[in-house]
Amino acid sequence: MAQKRKRPKSLYRRMKENKKVQAVATVLLPVLLGIVILSLWQTQVLHHWFKTDTFTLPLLDRIGVIISENTGKIWENVVATMTVAIIGLVAGSLLGYGVAVLAALFPRAGKGGLSVIGAFASIPVVALAPVMNNWTKDVSNDASTRSMVAKILVVMLIAAADMGLNAYRGLTELKPYAKDLMATYAAKKRTTFVKLQLPNSVPYIFVALKVSVPASIMTAIVSEYFAEYITGVGRQIRENIVLSQYSTAWAYIATACLLGIISYVVLMIVQSILLRRYH
Amino acid sequence: MKRINKLFEKKWASTLMWIILLIVAWEIAATVVAATKRTPENIMPHLYQILAAAFSTKPVASGMSATMVVLTSARATILRALLGFLVGTGIGFLLALVMKMSGICEKMLFPYLMLIQLIPVLGLAPIIFSITGDINKSRVIIAGILSFYPVATNTLAGFKSVDKDKYDLMYTYAAKRRTIYTKVLIPSAIPYFFTGTKIAAPMAITASILVDTLQGDGGLGCMLSQSLKHAMSIYVFWLIVFFSAFIGVFSSCLMTWIENLISPEKRGLRKAAKMKGGN
Repeated sequence: MAQKRKRPKSLYRRMKENKKVQAVATVLLPVLLGIVILSLWQTQVLHHWFKTDTFTLPLLDRIGVIISENTGKIWENVVATMTVAIIGLVAGSLLGYGVAVLAALFPRAGKGGLSVIGAFASIPVVALAPVMNNWTKDVSNDASTRSMVAKILVVMLIAAADMGLNAYRGLTELKPYAKDLMATYAAKKRTTFVKLQLPNSVPYIFVALKVSVPASIMTAIVSEYFAEYITGVGRQIRENIVLSQYSTAWAYIATACLLGIISYVVLMIVQSILLRRYH
Repeated sequence: MKRINKLFEKKWASTLMWIILLIVAWEIAATVVAATKRTPENIMPHLYQILAAAFSTKPVASGMSATMVVLTSARATILRALLGFLVGTGIGFLLALVMKMSGICEKMLFPYLMLIQLIPVLGLAPIIFSITGDINKSRVIIAGILSFYPVATNTLAGFKSVDKDKYDLMYTYAAKRRTIYTKVLIPSAIPYFFTGTKIAAPMAITASILVDTLQGDGGLGCMLSQSLKHAMSIYVFWLIVFFSAFIGVFSSCLMTWIENLISPEKRGLRKAAKMKGGN
């Protein structure tokens, strides 16, 4: 039987095996796609596909001009949205972590609490926001303060649900025999908790945050729709569309996307600093 | 005491305890509100009042009772959410498959898949509405986008989680590419796919309700904003809040149920549990 002759590798195959080519492709391909989409947008091909006009889908340079003209006002709204998102996220994550700790310490009673708090994650924001508005009517006489409190509460619940479920997993899904090892050391329950369970939950906190950071910005934006006081990036998108100022609305949409991306990048940087010793 | 302890080993017992606690807390708060406020039903009615409203036959809007109003509008909302959800999950799964099949596609699209998670898509609802000009189309698009990315990212993670051994085994069988996909890759990605749908289903419902609020076209969101403006009994508002919370949670549970129904390994586990229980 004649041995199969080795075929020369094709160009495609050779490129696939070359690490340098792959690294370049990882960066180059998405950038190329982005450039293609943006140029389709700028040359109005997208408008033709979606059967729309430059009024509802303004050209990119127009959006850029509007952003640069209104930096002051946009910044004001960014601050309003981000205050809500950040305070809600921090408070909610602490609450969720607290519940997870309780559930890990008292598993019998706590597990149910966890599934109840997990259910909150599935409740539509649209249903929560108006209820919170009603409940916070007495918090302050100032409409801006009380609608901010209402928005923070909504974000808090969503963030708490994410954090609770993940942190519980972090506190309980330990390495095999880790708990037995602590038992052989005759470690107290507190020591086991501080030395074993808490450190084990840290990576899980970041898993939760990866979901809840974008989610809390989205929640803040949606609950702005229902808030009494007109402020925030999300509300501006809606208000400007009602007024048919589409280019301004697009400026706020671009801002909202940027907020999401920047906060995720910040989270990634914080994670890489804090989790350095895990790698 | 021992029996109580035994009861709490079951998860549902502690869940039930927490639900009862929540109900008690709600009732206490409602009593306080009823004693101090002029219009307690706007802020926090007693739960039995809400239940009474659900079963009352008194017409609240165009000759329909409160429950009728909620159910008819819920049907519209849920059907549209379902359509968007199905389209989104389908596209998400296909996209993950394409990205698995072609390295170039994966490199090109993966950063955008990450990016789309960071964009507050619900905030785009008004602008998509004004581009499409059709409320139903925009609802399907938004519900689709929201359900597509959790499904796509999770399914892709599932495809990537397949061990090298399994590939090697298939290689020794001289299996065709097609067989590898249908026999190994897709079955092992199914649990991940369902993790995605569990996130996607409540999101699709949230999206659908939110888009309802943009235009008076029936649907839960539309009724929600109308009853908030006191166009009809405020109890309709409370019914909708509870109902949408329920369908949000239910949709997620439904996905778990479907997963258990179709995945063979879970079926085996259930059978084993049944046999154990029988003996």
